[in-house]
Amino acid sequence: MTITLTGVSKVFGDFTAVHPLDLTIPEGSFFALLGASGCGKTTTLRMIAGLEEPTGGSIRLGDDDITGLPPHKRPVNTVFQNYALFPHLDVSENVAFGLRRRGVTSVQKQVEEMLELVELGPLAHRKPRQLSGGQQQRVALARALINRPQVLLLDEPLGALDLKLRRQMQLELKRIQTEVGITFVHVTHDQEEAMTMADTVAVMNGGRVEQLGAPDELYENPRSTFVANFLGTSNLIEAEITAVEGEELRLKAVGADTVLRLPAQRCAVEDPRAGGKVLVGVRPEKISLTRAEDADSSDAAGAIREGSNLLTGRIRDAAYLGVSLQYVVDSPVCPEFSVYEQNVERDTRLVPGTEVVLHWQPSHTFALDAAQDADAGTVEEAL
Amino acid sequence: MTASTVPAAAGAAPPSQQPSPETGSSGDGQGPGPRRRLTPYWLLLPAGLWLAVFFVAPFFYQASTSVQSGSLEEGFRVTWDFTNYSDALATYGPHFLRSFLYAAVATLLCLLIGYPLAYMIAFRAGRWRSLLLVMVIAPFFTSFLIRTLAWKTILSDSGPVVGVLESLHILDFTSQLGLTGDDRLLATPLAVVCGLTYNFLPFMILPLYSSLERIDLSLHEAARDLYAKPTTTFRKVTFPLSLPGVVAGTLLTFIPASGDYINAQLLGSPNTQMIGNAIQKQFLNVLDYPTAAAMSFILMAIILIAVTVYMRKAGTEELV
Repeated sequence: MTITLTGVSKVFGDFTAVHPLDLTIPEGSFFALLGASGCGKTTTLRMIAGLEEPTGGSIRLGDDDITGLPPHKRPVNTVFQNYALFPHLDVSENVAFGLRRRGVTSVQKQVEEMLELVELGPLAHRKPRQLSGGQQQRVALARALINRPQVLLLDEPLGALDLKLRRQMQLELKRIQTEVGITFVHVTHDQEEAMTMADTVAVMNGGRVEQLGAPDELYENPRSTFVANFLGTSNLIEAEITAVEGEELRLKAVGADTVLRLPAQRCAVEDPRAGGKVLVGVRPEKISLTRAEDADSSDAAGAIREGSNLLTGRIRDAAYLGVSLQYVVDSPVCPEFSVYEQNVERDTRLVPGTEVVLHWQPSHTFALDAAQDADAGTVEEAL
Repeated sequence: MTASTVPAAAGAAPPSQQPSPETGSSGDGQGPGPRRRLTPYWLLLPAGLWLAVFFVAPFFYQASTSVQSGSLEEGFRVTWDFTNYSDALATYGPHFLRSFLYAAVATLLCLLIGYPLAYMIAFRAGRWRSLLLVMVIAPFFTSFLIRTLAWKTILSDSGPVVGVLESLHILDFTSQLGLTGDDRLLATPLAVVCGLTYNFLPFMILPLYSSLERIDLSLHEAARDLYAKPTTTFRKVTFPLSLPGVVAGTLLTFIPASGDYINAQLLGSPNTQMIGNAIQKQFLNVLDYPTAAAMSFILMAIILIAVTVYMRKAGTEELV
């Protein structure tokens, strides 16, 4: 069922955890709330579960207003961050808990089916503490799903698992969601997790939704520096708009003479005009490197396509990661330009100290409002 | 089944078989040094000595006393006279019964009073938690005897409690139940049970608190999320998880309460004497040591059996 949050906010003392928030989560979707810790994502989830009372606004499930409903009366179940399995009950009784509370007497068959779904059948009579983290996670999932909730809420469900298991569970959660067709609302700080599983992601920061959309849309076309930096890595260059030519913007990077171009609809600034300041962004894997001396020859290894955006720089650092090569390039416009090259036709001459030309397609360029912190959402900022 | 899966739950086992960090990781085949192997025994030594001198030795001394016969003038000799036991049971049966009845009622009252308080301190006290805990143990700053004497004043015939209860006609009601008599509180079973309840209440509250406090609050949330009403959450999650505290609290209350004689002596009458009073009298007034020792061992045996049965029933090892 569709969840509709209208102007929902939450204030703890003098701290506003969630600013008035409007959100529509469509039926059957896998929806992720993504953000760093303290961004209000968990509070939002807990308000949907009924474990936290909103300070203002209303929450509707389908057509029903559930804002004032206590958690045990909401057709919503939660998979808790630490699983919160009942330590005194065995796996099957944990899973049966919700059914029994609703007066279902013959739970045996349903419990068996549910344990089958999460592949835990043989462990039905173990106590939670006798299970591994991944198994506990599945019990928590089964315990929630067996109630056939209208909405399943997942609070950092994979946070306590190691990387390999997390990858496996991501795919499994996605499979289960497709199989049962229930709306999943998933809270996570892990952008990879959100992008793997969710079909819609809301990036939250400071109690507000920064941007909402499909994972690829968020990644390819971020609308704020926070999103650009929190989802993957972005190179941001301060620039000034020199001309608006129809569907294309022309810009001049601060500290360089080269002209950069990008499609007007990839500019997050409303009504861009000549003279306006923006932050021009490009993802590291969109950039190609060509040695400066080869830049003019069209037959060289890294031929530069006509109409590309160009910048010059010098390689400061090169790291060989097997699947890719990562370079840090010093450029007059941006001191630490990240460039990722697929390890296909590796140019072994690209060693630190080499003068290079960085080039990429205008259509891979985006522009953001310059009036924001260029470092928002980066790892450095989080530290 | 459970014992094998709970790692090192029984921390008492002295010769630890687990490899120490250094020796375990190096894997060079060297066992732990003799000094390291002896460490657990050294740690055990002070308590072991203390118990040996002040518990094990008196225990066997009293055990032998309990099967002696003779008199103070002629001296007591071990004659394996087990009639001491049967005589003691025959003579003091009512005292035993009364002891266990009073102790059981006091334990139940402690549980009924202590559980809500422990629950409140554990989950709802917020910043008052420490203060409340200090207040729970504050009575220990005064001696047991003084506090019980204070109760004598509180419950005295001309005291405020009797006055209030009288005007509310509650004393008439308790008299009909045989708990009080003659419009008095002192020298009645009710007074003894009240004294026991008061004196042993902290021993109930503290273990209850510590087991409640350990319950992860997210378990409450999970229960509510899974359609449990607040009362059901308590019944199905909170209370079962607090059972170790309930068991510990009832034992810590019931065992000392059934052997107590101060409350019965100061607040009771000859008709409310507990087994502790009888043992004390045999030892100090009658000077019939064998009977007194036999009574002590009967008390010990009954408590031991009762506790074993109770622990079996409660089955705490199945819990967390």
